[in-house]
Amino acid sequence: MVTTDERPEGRQRSAEEERLLAQRRRDTRNKWLWRIAGYVVVLLIWEYGFQAIMELIAGRSLNDALLPGPIRILQTIPDIWEDGEMLSNFGATLTRIGIGFGVSFIAGALIGLFTQNKWLDSFFRDLVVVSLTSPGLVWALTGLIIWGFKPLGWIFAIFMTTFALVSVNISEGVRALPKDLLDMAKAFGVSSIDRQRHIVIPHLAPYIFTAVRFGFSIAWKVTVLTEVFSSNKGIGFQMRVTSQVFQLDEFFTWVLSFFVFALFLEKVVLQRAEDRYFRWRQEVAT
Amino acid sequence: MTAAAMDSRPRVPFYRRPVAARILMPIAVIVVWYLVYWTLGSRIFEPPHRVFEFMWNELTLETRLRNGKGPSNLYQMFGLTVVRLFAGFAIAMVVGTVIGLAMGLSKSVNAFFHDWVMAVLAMPALVWALFLGLVFGPQGNQAPIYACILAGIPFVIINVREGVRNTPKELFDMARAFGVPQNKITRNVLLPSLMPFLFAAVRYAFSVGWKGLVIAEVFASDSGMGWAIKFWYDAHQTRGVIGYALFFVAFALALEKLLFEPLAEKAFKWRPRVGDVGVVEEQFLLDQTVEGALEVEQFTGGESDG
Repeated sequence: MVTTDERPEGRQRSAEEERLLAQRRRDTRNKWLWRIAGYVVVLLIWEYGFQAIMELIAGRSLNDALLPGPIRILQTIPDIWEDGEMLSNFGATLTRIGIGFGVSFIAGALIGLFTQNKWLDSFFRDLVVVSLTSPGLVWALTGLIIWGFKPLGWIFAIFMTTFALVSVNISEGVRALPKDLLDMAKAFGVSSIDRQRHIVIPHLAPYIFTAVRFGFSIAWKVTVLTEVFSSNKGIGFQMRVTSQVFQLDEFFTWVLSFFVFALFLEKVVLQRAEDRYFRWRQEVAT
Repeated sequence: MTAAAMDSRPRVPFYRRPVAARILMPIAVIVVWYLVYWTLGSRIFEPPHRVFEFMWNELTLETRLRNGKGPSNLYQMFGLTVVRLFAGFAIAMVVGTVIGLAMGLSKSVNAFFHDWVMAVLAMPALVWALFLGLVFGPQGNQAPIYACILAGIPFVIINVREGVRNTPKELFDMARAFGVPQNKITRNVLLPSLMPFLFAAVRYAFSVGWKGLVIAEVFASDSGMGWAIKFWYDAHQTRGVIGYALFFVAFALALEKLLFEPLAEKAFKWRPRVGDVGVVEEQFLLDQTVEGALEVEQFTGGESDG
């Protein structure tokens, strides 16, 4: 119905459409110009005005080494890369994130399923609120003093900060399961496996993706924090070492390289996977 | 109906009621704590009763931290942190609202700032703490307050921007058509539609700013709650670390129950409520909305609005 209505109209109003398209093109160009302007201005200020601004704020003169500009940070990347430290440290941090987040995700999803039960929901409610509201630092230190440098220490910290986001999302998803569709499928004798495949999983997928993305964005920050205290490798450890010896250019190189990497994982890889998964859903694709 | 409901209530055994589950949670935590203590056999780890004893001593000012002339007890540390928190929060709110309004009203301004706001949002607070600590030094309030601002301000900006974008244009047009005076439009149309977003901004600037502040106090300050937990950590005193961790949790819960829940009720007074359960659910939804405010254009938008 809708398509048959639209087509002839679209042909008739081609001039109108043309104008709209031109308008949209102009908007996009405008947006990109301002975006690039934003990058240029901020990077220029960072490179040339950073010291003046920070001195104004701090009210005293600052050492040049404390305030590296973007050019100097870029220059230190090859140095670190040639040392071969980049890969091993990234690997160490990623392993930690993988293990910690994996454990928290599974446990959080299970808790999310449990909270469908009213009794278990109120059992876990305060724990979830505590997890959502208290700083990750507290758990990093607590885990460390209980388990020392053992993996359980940092797994505990990552779990305490991440599981609640996962369980809240999963529990929302399960609560919103389309019961009428499931009932209908049952009435028409759709097999259980098909029901899971075609109704339950497609319905839960957006919630799972949200849980993974938000969970990951929190998990990697806590992981870096735990590395500051309890590791001899990884990004957090390098951040501590470089800031202790006042090598702020290396400090920023470590921070920014991992930051870009994490954003890449979060915004590009996960987003891509999500878009690909939801290609069939019009309202999400647009 | 109500009488029947009241009659049937006592028949449900106490242990099956949700209240019992809520009481059971802390008990379970303490039991697990004892179990870990017994199985671990660690020399530094301590059982709950000693930690509670430590907390009691802190509360009654039995113990004092050695901190030169600086603040030396729980209340002073706590007061200092709260003052810093409010200072950072206030600055983040003011500056963030201005930038957020500009970004909501103009597409160009939005394109200019957007990526940088996202970058600041995604940056771990640890980075600010270490950097500001080196620039400003551990004395004074500067480093923690700036860390608090930097942690909280992206949430204010994004939420205010979303609020401006979500103002109902039809309502404005209708109000104008019926000749409603401008101050009434502002009060009855603009503010109520901005309210949930401003509330989310307050909530997030506060709780995220607090987390940033604590980390900055650990790495870049010589006073405050964060410094205190670091002090006990450096002293290898489990009771101090876990005791202060529990103080943090208590503070977070108090903020939640005493500040944000009543505020949420006020902010959403004009909305129809489903019942008592609605408040908590709304919070979790809010959590999603605001964390996801950056992706509102995607699927979160449609679902989180309710």
